[in-house]
Amino acid sequence: MVDIVLAGYARSPFHFANKGALARVRPDDLVAQVIRGLVHKTGVAGKDIEAVFMGCAFPEGEQGLNIARLAVFLADLPQSVGGATVNHFCGSSMQAIHMAAGAIAMGAGQAYICAGIESMTRVPMMGYNPLLNPALAKSFPPAFISMGETAENVADKYGMSRADQDAFSLQSHKKAAKAQSEGRFKEEIVTITGPDGAVIEQDGCIRAESTIEGLGSLSPAFREGGCVTAGSSSPLTDGASVVLVCTADYAKQNSLPVLAKIRSIAVAGCAPEIMGIGPVAATKKAVERAGISIKDLDVIELNEAFASQALACMSDLDLDPAKINIDGGAIALGHPLGATGARITGKAAQLLKREGGRFALATQCIGGGQGIATVLEAAE
Amino acid sequence: MSKIGKVAVIGAGVMGAGIAAQVANAGVEVLLLDRPGEGEDRSSIARDAVARLLKTDPAPLMHKRKMKLITPGNTEDDVDKLAECDWIIEAIIENIEIKQKLYHHLEKHRKSGSVVSSNTSTLRRSDLIEGMPEKFCRDFLITHFFNPPRYMRLLELVGGKETPEALLEKVSSFCDRSLGKGVVVCRDTPGFIGNRIGIFWLQCAVVEAMDRGISIEVADAVIGRPFGIPKTGVFALLDMVGLDLMPHVLGSMAKHLSPEDDFHKVYREPELIKKMIAQGYTGRKGKGGFYRLRPDSPDKVKEAINLVTGEYSEASRPRVGVVKKAGTKNPRKVLQDTSDAGCYAWAVMSRTLAYAASLVPEVTEDIAAIDEAMKSGYNWKYGPFELMDQIGTAWLVHNLEVDGQKVPPVLKQAEEHGFYRVRYGTRELLSMQGSYRKLLQRPGVLKLEDVKARGGPVDSNPSASLWDLGDGVMGLEFHSKMNSLNLWSLSMMQRAIPQIIASDYKALVVYNDGSNFSVGANIGLLMVAAKLRAFPFIDYMVRKGQDTYQALKFAPFPVVSAPSGMALGGACELLLHSDAVQAHAETYTGLVEVGVGIIPGWGGCKEILCRWATSTDGPQGPMPPVAQAFEQIGLAKVAKSAEEAREMKILRKTDGITMNRERVLADAKEKALELAEGYVAPEPLDIVLPGPSGRVALDLAVSGFHQSGKATAHDVVVSAALAEVLSGGETDMTRTVSEATLLELERKAFHKLCRHPDTIRRVNHMLKTGKPLRN
Repeated sequence: MVDIVLAGYARSPFHFANKGALARVRPDDLVAQVIRGLVHKTGVAGKDIEAVFMGCAFPEGEQGLNIARLAVFLADLPQSVGGATVNHFCGSSMQAIHMAAGAIAMGAGQAYICAGIESMTRVPMMGYNPLLNPALAKSFPPAFISMGETAENVADKYGMSRADQDAFSLQSHKKAAKAQSEGRFKEEIVTITGPDGAVIEQDGCIRAESTIEGLGSLSPAFREGGCVTAGSSSPLTDGASVVLVCTADYAKQNSLPVLAKIRSIAVAGCAPEIMGIGPVAATKKAVERAGISIKDLDVIELNEAFASQALACMSDLDLDPAKINIDGGAIALGHPLGATGARITGKAAQLLKREGGRFALATQCIGGGQGIATVLEAAE
Repeated sequence: MSKIGKVAVIGAGVMGAGIAAQVANAGVEVLLLDRPGEGEDRSSIARDAVARLLKTDPAPLMHKRKMKLITPGNTEDDVDKLAECDWIIEAIIENIEIKQKLYHHLEKHRKSGSVVSSNTSTLRRSDLIEGMPEKFCRDFLITHFFNPPRYMRLLELVGGKETPEALLEKVSSFCDRSLGKGVVVCRDTPGFIGNRIGIFWLQCAVVEAMDRGISIEVADAVIGRPFGIPKTGVFALLDMVGLDLMPHVLGSMAKHLSPEDDFHKVYREPELIKKMIAQGYTGRKGKGGFYRLRPDSPDKVKEAINLVTGEYSEASRPRVGVVKKAGTKNPRKVLQDTSDAGCYAWAVMSRTLAYAASLVPEVTEDIAAIDEAMKSGYNWKYGPFELMDQIGTAWLVHNLEVDGQKVPPVLKQAEEHGFYRVRYGTRELLSMQGSYRKLLQRPGVLKLEDVKARGGPVDSNPSASLWDLGDGVMGLEFHSKMNSLNLWSLSMMQRAIPQIIASDYKALVVYNDGSNFSVGANIGLLMVAAKLRAFPFIDYMVRKGQDTYQALKFAPFPVVSAPSGMALGGACELLLHSDAVQAHAETYTGLVEVGVGIIPGWGGCKEILCRWATSTDGPQGPMPPVAQAFEQIGLAKVAKSAEEAREMKILRKTDGITMNRERVLADAKEKALELAEGYVAPEPLDIVLPGPSGRVALDLAVSGFHQSGKATAHDVVVSAALAEVLSGGETDMTRTVSEATLLELERKAFHKLCRHPDTIRRVNHMLKTGKPLRN
């Protein structure tokens, strides 16, 4: 089978929704700037790109009208480049990568831009017109369970204490703050220009000054007497991320900076009321398909939708904490739903190259009870 | 003379920032300057003051958006900007030397023809302009605002003989129409009018209570309600003002008033108060004052000080017999009472009223101006001369003489006929010459009491009346307790319609002079009916309200509602059904029904939903209007100003806002007459709603709030009923929902909720405590 690689990764700075620096930036403009940044950074020829696959969890309003195709125009890519918007909730842009890899494997082109976008400021979670199936809501209420409640359920089921969650969250901030202060995000962040000319070049959600006492003082956010707080949850975030997926041959011929090879992919379902545990089944599948074991993984990007679910997944999969989210995770950086999959996959590839090692995993949970995972292998 | 288009306020203290906020509330740009700060940001003092405006309670700004109109700066770097200002208001420390230094500085930078004024409360204009250039003296006024400037109506305006009439008129008109103030032109005497009388009254009440051994709770009870004075009375008011301000103000009065002034008879600085100030008991802003909350007490026990021992103990709720007997309409009963409380009331109020009368003509020749000053500046319901009329001037003169008090000449003149009277349908007042003159309102001011003086109502029942407002406009007045709405109120609305049509009136204006337009439907009635299990009666009330409001909405003449103060629940629903609203800027309105476990049942859900559904701003689709209405009603949101009501779509963009309370009726009448030209009643609306798919989404959101402890069990029940109505019941987005269907959904939901025991508990609790029950 043809070798498929990640040959570039970029993202926008991530900022709090509503109050952050990206609140006034349209999502289509935001992601187009990141695509332009990636094209510039990698030097990939626009004419060679088969399509832009764009992950977005709530593709309506300014994220509607097939934002992927609109981004092609906004990013000045040739009109020959296709554009398809992908909705797999939080897994959207990882799904975009999987679709590109599948298409390439089918012989349908040699290079794709896989992007993710979410302005949680400008398109609210649930969208503007949430219209649920009343019959399903009655017969199977977990289909529409709130994410916060699932985090509490996972904490209950796995006995995750408040203290463990707070400690995990603090670590996320400390790692991210360290990475930021050492300039380790510069490689991936594309500077964004706002509508008023404002230049946005740094992440805005990381709280370097976070303390265990501060986190401990927060009230439960989703359940009275519960243990999940705003501090142990990823914040509502605005952001975009992009990776270049292409064949190893194409990358070589065009001297593209290969980060890693895609070794295997997987999705898996689980009970919606504990959706946070989704990465477990997906990871097991992907690792098995890669023909390796968990112990072979050198770098792991495990999305931190909530500390409780991240800890539960680590426990179930017996993951080594030292290998996880080396530059911080979503609790510190933010989780712009549709953009997270491309960020963690791109980041895992970048880290594999930076830190050395052979295999990396990027995995995340998905609302409705799912997990998605990608195993990467160091490029030769 | 040019209009006032831009204002500067110098001095960013509480008063200066508050005045700047009120100018911004009027939609006028304002520069707020203070001395340069020491840090990098040299305008930090003014900038911090502007930032504090958003955190101050009660809010100085009518809408946070207004903050954009205030530009902070400092008196050195931004002094050139004063050249753009038409009016410069000085609100700095009460020190003539420092003020004059600032005035000289301003003189170099202000533009020709601009007005400069001081917000001084204790200094005289003549002292402030001494030695100043002629041009400055000509353009200089005193504009004395009361604290807090947004909420206190009184503005005392002092000019001099060199002040051009046009300049005085320009400032007066701006303060009246744009800032909404009750402008009282005063002579240049110490304390002007409000504080001259108010400080005498407060000081007299304090020393008399101390001398007579009257507790502060009794003093406040007896001096408050019977005289139409706010229930804060004397001591609670002093706590609000700040005890530490008093020595300064009293000292200034003592220094500047003539030795013959009766003020000196009550002037002294009690040791207890000195001690309280020294210990930080400066009032509400400090550790407490005459009243305090028991320190380290989680259950907020209110304590009162003993004026003799200085010790605090739990505040009592004194049952003063005469206060109950006198009610709110018979102050003489209290003054006649021979109990200690009654004698105290006589000692304080007789001297205060006589003092007020003795100030004519020293502070002004116009007794109505004095009444206005005390009503606007101290929130008295009646001014001193109106009070004396209520008490009976002949009785008062006689008893003052018996008591050995001086009877001022103006009171003697009023002995026979009082200060005010009605002759041939016109209100008149006593002039200095001893004759009566017509009480003329300023152009654009129409008072219901003047309409009433002209003759009886067109129609009336115990809760509402119809009045002929002139020019073919009918007025509907509510006058039940708190203007709550009941079957009588609804009947009068219904009776108005055929009478307006039959007598060729052109329009209806709903208005009253009360401090609150209406607190909404009478829930006491709901409670009684529920206790008697008279549910068919409740259903009838709901139906009657709906029918009445629909009849007004589709009547062949325009209906303009003109609220001021609270317009809650059923009253808000009336605003929503009106063709137009002309609201006083200080209108507090919202659909608050969920607080008592019900939903708006007189078409409020329907109307607010239609407002959001027909709005073109914001996201479109079947859910956004439902979500907006659901949040607004479900959280019982109340607009804290007419501006906020506009944002909540209770007021439309085309509805009017009047800053001055006294101009609301005339503006509403004008609006009604404008609408009457070629008036066509609106068409009933049909809107697209999401049906069960949307309802499930709302239920899901509420379930989340319940799980996180933000919504109670009964909130879930009430919200579910509300969601059912707002989502359109069983409709589908391919169909439209009529007004009639929405009204039916409201009735069904109301029918269900009013039978729920937890709703009954909420109503009961509200009636007993005035606060919502979180069950």
